[in-house]
Amino acid sequence: MKWQVMVEGRAIEIDSQQLDGVLPVEAGVYSVLLDGASYEIRIQPSGRGLTASAGLIASAAGRRFAVEVNDPRDASRSSRTAIGSGRQNVTAPMPGKVVRVLVEAGDLVETSQGLVVVEAMKMQNELKASRPGRVIEISAREGETVGAGDTLVVLE
Amino acid sequence: MFGRVLVANRGEIAVRIVRALRDMNIRSIAVFSDADRGALHVRMADEAVHIGPAVSTESYLHQGRILEAAKKHRADAIHPGYGFLSENADFAAGCAREGMVFIGPSAQSIRRLGSKTAARTLAKQAGAPVVPGSEEPATELEHARALARDIGYPVLLKAAAGGGGKGMRRVNAESELESAVRDAASEAERAFQNGEIYIEKVIEKARHIEIQVAGDHYGNLVHLGERECSLQRRHQKIVEECPSPWVARHPELRAAMGDAALKIARAAEYDNLGTVEFLADDRGNFYFLEVNTRLQVEHPVTELVTGYDLVQLQLRIAAGEALPFSQKDVAWQGWAMECRVCAEDPETNFFPSPGKIVQLREPSGPGVRLDSGVYAGWTVPLEYDPLLAKLVTWGRDRDAAIQRLQRALCEYTITGVETNLTFFREILDDAEFRAGKLSTEFVADFFGRRKPRAAAPEQLEMAVALAAAAYSQPRLRTLAAQGAECVDSRWLSEGRGQLLR
Repeated sequence: MKWQVMVEGRAIEIDSQQLDGVLPVEAGVYSVLLDGASYEIRIQPSGRGLTASAGLIASAAGRRFAVEVNDPRDASRSSRTAIGSGRQNVTAPMPGKVVRVLVEAGDLVETSQGLVVVEAMKMQNELKASRPGRVIEISAREGETVGAGDTLVVLE
Repeated sequence: MFGRVLVANRGEIAVRIVRALRDMNIRSIAVFSDADRGALHVRMADEAVHIGPAVSTESYLHQGRILEAAKKHRADAIHPGYGFLSENADFAAGCAREGMVFIGPSAQSIRRLGSKTAARTLAKQAGAPVVPGSEEPATELEHARALARDIGYPVLLKAAAGGGGKGMRRVNAESELESAVRDAASEAERAFQNGEIYIEKVIEKARHIEIQVAGDHYGNLVHLGERECSLQRRHQKIVEECPSPWVARHPELRAAMGDAALKIARAAEYDNLGTVEFLADDRGNFYFLEVNTRLQVEHPVTELVTGYDLVQLQLRIAAGEALPFSQKDVAWQGWAMECRVCAEDPETNFFPSPGKIVQLREPSGPGVRLDSGVYAGWTVPLEYDPLLAKLVTWGRDRDAAIQRLQRALCEYTITGVETNLTFFREILDDAEFRAGKLSTEFVADFFGRRKPRAAAPEQLEMAVALAAAAYSQPRLRTLAAQGAECVDSRWLSEGRGQLLR
């Protein structure tokens, strides 16, 4: 598996073998050993983008980085691609309260279709599907509080 | 000594006071508004009382409710912290009426020094140098215009009841005066319920240096040396240190400023901890600014260098003990420096950034002290000051203290709200800062010469990319949680069972 990760606008190619040196140590915190050097990286959703492929913010060595992870296999397919292009977890970009769940398990959804409405800092944010798919799992419950990064809906 | 003390404050300072009380085996009583039910000071105190809605005037500034809470919980004394009711003479008198001790100077001392104009007159009579300016309030526009002309532009408008930069405006020319007077007066009215303002000459490129004084009920008065607090944004301090690099270069200034501060304190019959603020120019002059009749936010730098616990000292004095040391016992060792860590964004003019703290890693280790009022999962309320914590380090000399502060800032991570942590790292790297060339205009000047930060090393970016890729994999994201489940594995419980046999 390969990813293209944008770090502060610079594209970095990663393949899955390279993840051997990455250990999740706490929620959102990764210990990375790289050529003998040790790094501690904190990752959280940026809270800005509201789609499933929202941007991330990484904190490391007293610095912050704007980060985006692209799965090149997704990018190579057009948004018209049919159902079945792998599982996709739609996660909460920031802590909040689930106000409404707009889909049911088994529903077919289109790109940009609203899935879940989460309220945070007195604002309601609609989380949308970033590509077409079928809803295979709904973990969000109306009225429940969710943390940043919690999975709300799984698409296939 | 007191048995029970109510802490009439919130945030890091309430936590600081609760700690001092516990150090002295005194029961602590916290107060909280609707917004602070889950606040750290409430979690840490022995007792806690709800005192009203989030808005301060209905809770932390509401004298009646705080006194009622203190009576209900049978407090012997009330510690007001800083801000809120700490410099309110009526509140100090109110405590006495209810048979409780106000931990601070007498209501009379607060009155003499609390009004900035009265304090200037008192300082002048005591023989301390003061900044040229008006001794009476200048809230009437015509009066202000005449005074400003006499003093000479640029001038500074300040709130007579003020502090913390509220109601303060710099006026460069007469054309700006009218709107500045209006703004300053209304801001002062909102902040202190007193719209009186007065006028001072602007001392350009001044350093802010203050002297910590301590007095008891028996006429003993000592000073604990200076703190330099020149780094400010919006007239509020963000970095403080002891000693002052300026005083370190001109050691005779400590005794001279200390003497001036003690003269003022003596004239006011001062009988607790207080801070006498001065402006110093680059020719060795210094001018009295005002007295803060309370514990100062930046008190930890003095504590680290002198070895005294200032909050405990306040409690002892208020309980009627004599100062346990005299001036000749006071010694200063090494260097301490403090950063005020705030939920605010330095890139957007230090705009406050309330919200939920998602992740928190706090620094520790040799020479590091963190006075914090927050925890991971806590929502920083938008009703109050954005101060989250004070990070203070100690070193044998200034460079060592700075190096430790850099190290501690590097360990410190707060996510979920914007903070000024990386801004401090840039400031501490600045050549002018390292050389101790400070002034109250430092932060503004720094933005002018600020270089874009050098790009991160490539390997660090690679490590970030790897962590982000792992984060995008649900399997790798939940590994830590799976680890937690392993704690309940049958092997472990079996092993524990055997140990218990």
